[in-house]
Amino acid sequence: MKRIRRLSAAIAAVAALGVAAPAVASAATTITISGATASYPLVSLLAQKYNKVHPKKIKFKIAQGGAQVGVNDVAAGRVTIGDVSRDPEAKDPAGLVFYPIAKYAICVVTNKSNPLSNLTSSQLSSIFTGKTKSWSGVSGASASGTIDVISRTSVAGVLTNFQTILLEGKKVVESATQEASEGLLKQQVESDPNSIGFISNYQADKGGVNVVGLNGVGCSRATALSGQYAGVARFYEVTKGKATGAASQFIGWIEKSAAAKKIINTQWISIS
Amino acid sequence: MRSRLLNPWSDNRAERTLGAVSLLVGVAVIAMIVFVAVQAWPTISHNGGIEWLGSGGKLERQVEAMNNAGTNPTPADYHLRAWPLVYGTLLTTVIAVAFGLVIAILSSIFIVDIAHDRVKGTVVPVIRLLASVPSVVYGLLGILVLVPFVGNHIITSSEKAQHAGEVQLTGQGLLVTVVILTVMITPIMVALICEALESVPKSWREGAIALGVNPLRAMLAVTLRAARPAIVAAAVLATARALGESIMIAMVSGGVSFAPRPEDGIVAIFEPLRTLASFIVSFQEGTGATALKSSLYAFALLLLVGALVLSVCGYLIKLPLRKYQVKG
Repeated sequence: MKRIRRLSAAIAAVAALGVAAPAVASAATTITISGATASYPLVSLLAQKYNKVHPKKIKFKIAQGGAQVGVNDVAAGRVTIGDVSRDPEAKDPAGLVFYPIAKYAICVVTNKSNPLSNLTSSQLSSIFTGKTKSWSGVSGASASGTIDVISRTSVAGVLTNFQTILLEGKKVVESATQEASEGLLKQQVESDPNSIGFISNYQADKGGVNVVGLNGVGCSRATALSGQYAGVARFYEVTKGKATGAASQFIGWIEKSAAAKKIINTQWISIS
Repeated sequence: MRSRLLNPWSDNRAERTLGAVSLLVGVAVIAMIVFVAVQAWPTISHNGGIEWLGSGGKLERQVEAMNNAGTNPTPADYHLRAWPLVYGTLLTTVIAVAFGLVIAILSSIFIVDIAHDRVKGTVVPVIRLLASVPSVVYGLLGILVLVPFVGNHIITSSEKAQHAGEVQLTGQGLLVTVVILTVMITPIMVALICEALESVPKSWREGAIALGVNPLRAMLAVTLRAARPAIVAAAVLATARALGESIMIAMVSGGVSFAPRPEDGIVAIFEPLRTLASFIVSFQEGTGATALKSSLYAFALLLLVGALVLSVCGYLIKLPLRKYQVKG
């Protein structure tokens, strides 16, 4: 008897907590965000800063999952804002508004033991479309043997950008190894001396891989900022219809305030 | 209400409540299968029933077409020939279970019959621990240690050059996948088979030895024979784990929907592959595209049906073995 009473008391306590927690959460305005893994570091930094500038006004819940998850979630109304790492596409659900928040460069990378310094656009597309199969056909490469093309799965936003911006719409060769995330791609390039792949500039900046220049321009934040480097893509905050209320204020703050701009310009490039 | 809940329940009432709870589990399983089947239906019906299990065309391009079709796919966008995935799943599972089973039976005989008590005391807990290591840990070791080792030291550059343009041999592929899968599923089998061997009455074996059979033969002919139902049960459990393994395989299998070709000879063991489960993990971002989502559900349905067939088969195989069964 006593045990049952204790048990039911415990259940009641848990139930009370379960009811109370959402009630407390809803007292403050909550912005829920989901989407691109690539822009997650930036968005979470921005959200932290926003809360410091506007204390206790807004609670952020940021989840990752990928650019397409962001688009789906925001279109279905599951989140306030979706993070997207690629440009809007015709297949996206109607009624979404894309707000560009930052730019980033897509860098071509090779293994450290293959310090290739530069590729021309035509060499790049020849390698990634599978026409050039051996490193001996690439001047400046110290690796020998076959080229291992490391790519991303076809649902990745960075792959879409890479193909439209750097391969001029051509497709990466079918036999390319597909990795599920930037981290796995970088790991494979680090461990395979014959490999070549592509990652965003702040991943490339962390070292471990050799960053290849394009048409005589190195890939870095500086060259992307000056506009010399061709492979520049954008991060977007996406809302269903025009942003309203707290989301609108947050996006407006990212677009206009000096504090946000300072954060963006640490590793990324601000839009204006 | 409160007093009714706190007073001891009558047997009748407790029985009905417990019955309802266990019925609920069954209902949940059936509801899940029906839901997955309904979601998978567009892919199945647009591909003529079971034709999507066949081979033909490039799976990569079919998936890309599904992804590009977005939320309004035409029936043509559903075109799918998933044989490379089915083949990859069967290949990895069958090889890993076959190797694992042999290793598990031999090591169980050693542990039960030959090993010193002190050795047994350390080996058994370690095997139990190994059986519960999360698969992502194995995946991490695979991608950081095994894949670079195989890619840089075992695969020769002439092998790479020979197949350049068709398939990349980076170290990610069948070999590493099967090795890790075997390591993952063997401990479960060892633990189960050990228990079964130990539960065979000692007198049965002693009887055989008294009749002049040598101890090893008595082990094989009497103890192992009596434990056959448990060995089948262990194999079924291990197969189920191998079938459903996703994250580890997604990390080390090379991420290309390519089916290793036996005609390539020894190189085939280095060729990349995808399994049904690892495909679902790799393309979970693609659920925004209606056709791709339905296809992922079709793969999930196939895995569910596979698990069902597996347990029915296991049951049928065990039936004739029951004659000398011990509880295992």
